[in-house]
Amino acid sequence: MGKTIICHCEDISIEELFSAVEQGYKDIESIKRYTGIATGTCQGKCCLIQTLRALASGDDRSSPKTASESAASTPLKGIAVKMPTIRQPVIPARIDRIIKAGEKAVKKATGKA
Amino acid sequence: MNRTADMVIIGGGVNGVACAYYLARRGMKNIVLFEKGYLGYGATGRCGGGIRQQWGMDENIILARDSVRMFEKLSHELGFNIFFRQGGYLILISDERDYDLISKTIPRQNELGVPAELLEPKDIASLVPGLNLKTIIAGAYCPTDGTAYPYAVLWGYAEAAKRRGVDIRLHTEVLIISRKSGGTYEVTTTNGTVHTPRILNVAGAATRNTASMLGIVIPTKPYRHEIAVSEPLKSFLDPMVISIRKGFYFSQSLRGEIVGGIGDPDEPSSSSTASSPEFLFRYAEALRKTFPALGKVRIIRQWAGLYDVSPDARPIIGTVDGVDGYYHACGFSGHGFMLSPVVAKLLSELITTGKTSIPIDSLNLKRFSEPGLTRDPYVVG
Repeated sequence: MGKTIICHCEDISIEELFSAVEQGYKDIESIKRYTGIATGTCQGKCCLIQTLRALASGDDRSSPKTASESAASTPLKGIAVKMPTIRQPVIPARIDRIIKAGEKAVKKATGKA
Repeated sequence: MNRTADMVIIGGGVNGVACAYYLARRGMKNIVLFEKGYLGYGATGRCGGGIRQQWGMDENIILARDSVRMFEKLSHELGFNIFFRQGGYLILISDERDYDLISKTIPRQNELGVPAELLEPKDIASLVPGLNLKTIIAGAYCPTDGTAYPYAVLWGYAEAAKRRGVDIRLHTEVLIISRKSGGTYEVTTTNGTVHTPRILNVAGAATRNTASMLGIVIPTKPYRHEIAVSEPLKSFLDPMVISIRKGFYFSQSLRGEIVGGIGDPDEPSSSSTASSPEFLFRYAEALRKTFPALGKVRIIRQWAGLYDVSPDARPIIGTVDGVDGYYHACGFSGHGFMLSPVVAKLLSELITTGKTSIPIDSLNLKRFSEPGLTRDPYVVG
């Protein structure tokens, strides 16, 4: 059987996700940084929901479970299925565009003063 | 949890887990470490990962040099890849004052075994093609400086400490510490109470608050520092590039991202770790000015962490007079990660033997009650 890729930016499989959990990385912030899931160019827009679903459902992908239902299942017992911190920029932003936006903000601020 | 321990460590950052490991390696049993969030939730997990030996004061040069010697062997020793890469540190010099300081300091760095050298602009251009050298008069370069992935260092130490029996308690906050008769401490946490004869307080910017539970006054202040990361690019940049004057730095990670930051001299002291657009504007401008081709590159994320800044921007390490069994390390002022292997090892020596193999008396808390403070001119931020 082939691998199921859960994070396309960083090329991470669902087996690697479960392996991280088995090694003791049991909160979403640690899982994210240990596996690399949600740290690529999409910043989780493609992979995070799949990851949370997998964490909630465990190995049984045929019947997705809610977070409270999954609390009793192994090997994911004790996982708090929640969102990691979301930070700016919301979409990738080119450095020259950021500089332009900054100049505009300064103009606006000084124009009003 | 209601138990006794031989050692309680407060803080699951790099200094805490590394010291837990070195204490266990020296044979100490029954060590408990408390972290209020996950490992690296504080400053370690938010730092830029830079490791440099180019410092102005002997104490920093020696500590950083010995840390690099330890980082070189750490992946092997811990059985965990810490992604240590010696791409060097390139300090860009744009004014005469910095030129004087750095050209006078390099011979001392060399004497102490740090292979730093002064570069002319043409040498800089061949080391890092693409840099804008219009305002750059020289550079200082040390090829054995580098970077490591802070989380990997943390996890590596934590795994190795756990294999040696250290009990790491995550999501457990220390609420109260009180001294009991017979020279022990009662440490009350959100998950129970521990009695211990020894405490190591290494809680980053919160070290000051934990110390105040024992009536110890630590004169550090937290300051927010922000970092941004770009989309991954093909490898093109070996050294970490920094400007001491501007508090600006950037490097390329092993995944290809450009990771960097810039300090704000007007940033007030606060414990905020919120991200600001103002930082992003200033960072983008400094990055494009220094490396024009990066204007086309996209930033994918920014975050912030706290520097625990001491009055002289030098670490505070050691014991406190009159508080037996208490040890701390804090006030790293933005260079705690790079010094952590040697600091943690020295703390483990101090705790188990009362002595250290490198003198650290000059870093004791006592210095702030004596007249005159010396600041290392190589501090960034």
